Amino acid sequence: MEPRGSSGVGSGNSGTYTPEIAESLRFEEEIQSLIDPSFDASSAAGGSFTALLGLPANQAVELLHHPGPGEPPASAATDTLRLPFGCSSTFVERAARFSVFATDDSPASSSGGGLSPGLKAEPPDSDSPPTLPAPAGKPRRPSKRKECEKSKAKAVAKKSKSAEENTSAAKPAAEENTSGDKLPYVHVRARRGQATDSHSLAERARREKINARMKLLQELVPGCSKITGTALVLDEIINHVQSLQRQVEFLSMKLAAVNPRIDFSGLDHILSAECGPLAVASGCGGGASDPAMWASDTAASTGGIRRMPAPPQIWHLDVVHPQQSSTVWENNGVAHPHFLLSPATSLVGYDPASSVPLNSNRLKTEL
Amino acid sequence: NASLAERSQRIKMAAEMGLVRSSRGRHWSRALGRRLLQREGITGCGCKNAALSTSSNVFEDLGVREIEDEAAEIGTRVRALQRLVPGGEELGLERLFEETADYIEALQGQVSAMRAMSCLLDGLEREKRMMGK
Repeated sequence: MEPRGSSGVGSGNSGTYTPEIAESLRFEEEIQSLIDPSFDASSAAGGSFTALLGLPANQAVELLHHPGPGEPPASAATDTLRLPFGCSSTFVERAARFSVFATDDSPASSSGGGLSPGLKAEPPDSDSPPTLPAPAGKPRRPSKRKECEKSKAKAVAKKSKSAEENTSAAKPAAEENTSGDKLPYVHVRARRGQATDSHSLAERARREKINARMKLLQELVPGCSKITGTALVLDEIINHVQSLQRQVEFLSMKLAAVNPRIDFSGLDHILSAECGPLAVASGCGGGASDPAMWASDTAASTGGIRRMPAPPQIWHLDVVHPQQSSTVWENNGVAHPHFLLSPATSLVGYDPASSVPLNSNRLKTEL
Repeated sequence: NASLAERSQRIKMAAEMGLVRSSRGRHWSRALGRRLLQREGITGCGCKNAALSTSSNVFEDLGVREIEDEAAEIGTRVRALQRLVPGGEELGLERLFEETADYIEALQGQVSAMRAMSCLLDGLEREKRMMGK
């Protein structure tokens, strides 16, 4: 097992040698010594580079054993921590003091400005550890707890601010975190030179959430991932939404044109009734129909157009190839040249997606 | 037999109703549903008002001139997006992006379905005509 391997977490640290890093460095030395009995702890170089690696390795170990997001840290850390390499009590104790809080959505934890703010190790029950490690750990702890308190200040609203000196505040906070699954708190590590008050932390967490959502949008909109700059990306998104809406309008025009008998004259029924009764082709009035038949058609791809009755000549293809049609509705972005007929028949050609918008422009100008 | 414009308007409303029905529970879906019910009385017989606003330039309506400040740039675009997504005007940035993503997916599904439908009907028309002759 290679604890120094890259974990992808917290690799964006600056070179500062905070007490936290020092402790995790010692942690890593312990890991090392457990793996390799001949490992000489004193020879482990305490350079800043190792310090950088020490932190992610520590979190990596934790992540390895507790991959589930939002897992209650206290119980998980103390009860189920199983290490493949030996079981030193101090080691377990130290490992128990670190836990991982995940955000509510995974993209946010991996994306967002720096990687380190995404996850923060935090001692769940640092207040009442039954067996304390060596007294050398003690002087470091108050400072670490302060830092943890600061980062938790955002999570535990305002009350932790006043209770910053009071170490017992951490315990109810931890219990609050573990008991309520509804509110996964985002723990953000303050970057060097940045304010650590609760307001800016909350602001930064909010910013990262927003950036995560925007990244999802970028992936949805084709060709948007390459664009840099918020304004341009938003432009693309707006264009995409507008073009989709225009396509809906154009296609409804096309549908009206392709078959003069198609009409939804019973719109009142459609719009008001709970299970919209079928609107009828051939211009008959809309009447109540069998809602159960359409109740299962709730896939987004079916749309309201599908609620047309089945005059034989239109729907016999559906009856013949029922399986094909259902898969066709579901494959949104895929070109289906052999739409509902056997590949041999080419009567129902399927326009490639690109040509339709071109036609739409021409049609619109003609009309 | 009603005119092309009227019928296409009604088809469009039915399509939007389908959008609403298939994505129930979504904020934009409820907002769009409300908008449709509002206009139903007005456009039951085919007015020009469309539930989906398709003005060519969303920014024009906002009265935008020169935008130099970056924050202002983003601000106007966000406002434009809010107008495009049904119910977007009440939403904060984070929720707006969520709703936009879902709305885009639903629209893509709708477009795909309508495209397939029109192709199908088109082919059937041709087939019928060929059979007739």
